[in-house]
Amino acid sequence: MSDPSRSAGAQTAQKPNAAKNYFKHHSNVAKSTFSSQLNKPISSFFTCAVIGIALVLPCLLMLILTSIQSVSQNWDGSAQITLLLHKDISASDAGILANEIGKKQSINTSRFIDKDIALNSFKENFEFADAIDFLDENPLPHVIIVSPNDAIKTIQHIEQLKNSLLTNSEIDSALLDVMWVQRLNSITLVLERAIWVIASMLALSVILVLGNTIRLAIESRKEEIIVVKLVGGTDNFVRRPFLYMGTFFGLGGSILAWILIQIVIYLLNQPVQELATSYQSNFSLSGMNFESTLFLLLLGISLGWFGSWIAVKKHLSDIEPD
Amino acid sequence: MIKFEHVCKRYEDGHEALNDVSFSLSRGEMAFLTGHSGAGKSTLLKLIMLMERSSKGNIFVGEQNLSKIPKRQIPYFRRHVGVVFQNHRLLYDRSVFDNVALPLEISGMNHRDIGRRVRAALDKVGLLSKEKLTPIQISGGEQQRVGIARAVVNKPPLLLADEPTGNLDPTLSAEIMTLFSEFCQVGVTVLIASHDLALIHHMHYPVIQLNKGQIVDTPFKERGGDANV
Repeated sequence: MSDPSRSAGAQTAQKPNAAKNYFKHHSNVAKSTFSSQLNKPISSFFTCAVIGIALVLPCLLMLILTSIQSVSQNWDGSAQITLLLHKDISASDAGILANEIGKKQSINTSRFIDKDIALNSFKENFEFADAIDFLDENPLPHVIIVSPNDAIKTIQHIEQLKNSLLTNSEIDSALLDVMWVQRLNSITLVLERAIWVIASMLALSVILVLGNTIRLAIESRKEEIIVVKLVGGTDNFVRRPFLYMGTFFGLGGSILAWILIQIVIYLLNQPVQELATSYQSNFSLSGMNFESTLFLLLLGISLGWFGSWIAVKKHLSDIEPD
Repeated sequence: MIKFEHVCKRYEDGHEALNDVSFSLSRGEMAFLTGHSGAGKSTLLKLIMLMERSSKGNIFVGEQNLSKIPKRQIPYFRRHVGVVFQNHRLLYDRSVFDNVALPLEISGMNHRDIGRRVRAALDKVGLLSKEKLTPIQISGGEQQRVGIARAVVNKPPLLLADEPTGNLDPTLSAEIMTLFSEFCQVGVTVLIASHDLALIHHMHYPVIQLNKGQIVDTPFKERGGDANV
């Protein structure tokens, strides 16, 4: 039974296979952990459900945020800069200026509106325009309406264009009709911050829930842990099944979260589209694409692993053979 | 193989479990450790397998000074010490085979070698036919033999046993002891803590007798501190 030469030979023959054995051991632990979780379907499902539901809310908010951001990015060049000229500029000078501006590379079209024509059309369109007759002179300035080149897509660029036009001494002031985009951007910023806060709190709760589940699992396998430690099991060996357990719970939770998100998006999309249509927008909520799915899965897995790692670190050292 | 040099063990509550214990045991030797309960038998075994650290003195196992082994190296040290426990410490949710295979799995042996070694160990203790049963399905004596198979499956040079016949009838106890002496004959150092004096005297192996944490008259005492380990 204990022939020294034979045992030494067996040990040297083992070495090249060490890595293979290690991975084999990992896959065995993973398999047995997974099947032990399947053997307790209800409690495993509840643990996954808690994790899943905690993941749904931040992910859903994130999807809504991405949808909103795509709206503010595609303002379709609807932005126009209205240039109000100084009162003492004559109509002919203003026309020349409009032509000059129109030739700039960053400008798509520029249209001159004479202040008298503007006043007339104002009178035609508004019933109470008679009040204007009481004024001594036309209160309106000459106006040039500029629409920027298609290449200009961001608010910053269009602001730059506006400022460069303002350096022209004949232009008194400029109105930029992109306030709604700016407001939307501020709202999305607030929303983004809020999502991060909510997401971190829920991630923390996932870690705590998992920590508790793993703690109970450690308690219930206390005797086994002691025996393993007595026959020479390292801390890593003892830790492994629990880390796999947490990882699988995290994976299960994120799969469940994915399903829930798709259901919620499906339920929300019709009313959201109706609402958007009433604002002449074709806005709709986008579902989970490949990247967000991958992100969700990785998030679940890493939270699961981390939660169980903390629990194992805290509780395993308490269990020593006596 | 084992050498104790003036070893003391005092627990935090002030209880002195071992006081100035010195003895040595050569490779391939077998000895009994006796004494009343509370005399320090279990403490002495715990010191050898590093479940406890000595408060004073040196303990050598093989060439290693146990006080020099850092905590994270303890698992690797324990793989070279086979231990048989009084209450078996088997895992009741696994088969006999899996219980015996545990130390080999831990040391990362491949599946085929594990099968071969486990069956050899089970064959040795006469339980080859029961490998698929769980410990609950077999008798107390058989459970103890599963524990022995698990202790020797790694082919450790040192085998410790804490009251291995504690709950067994005399016939079964004698069988178990014979098994231990067979391991001793193939070169394993065996140290058995037991209070079964009748059986011990029958076996004609050296005896280390502990009383209140000290060794009382024994052939080993004079050899304590002997460099020839």
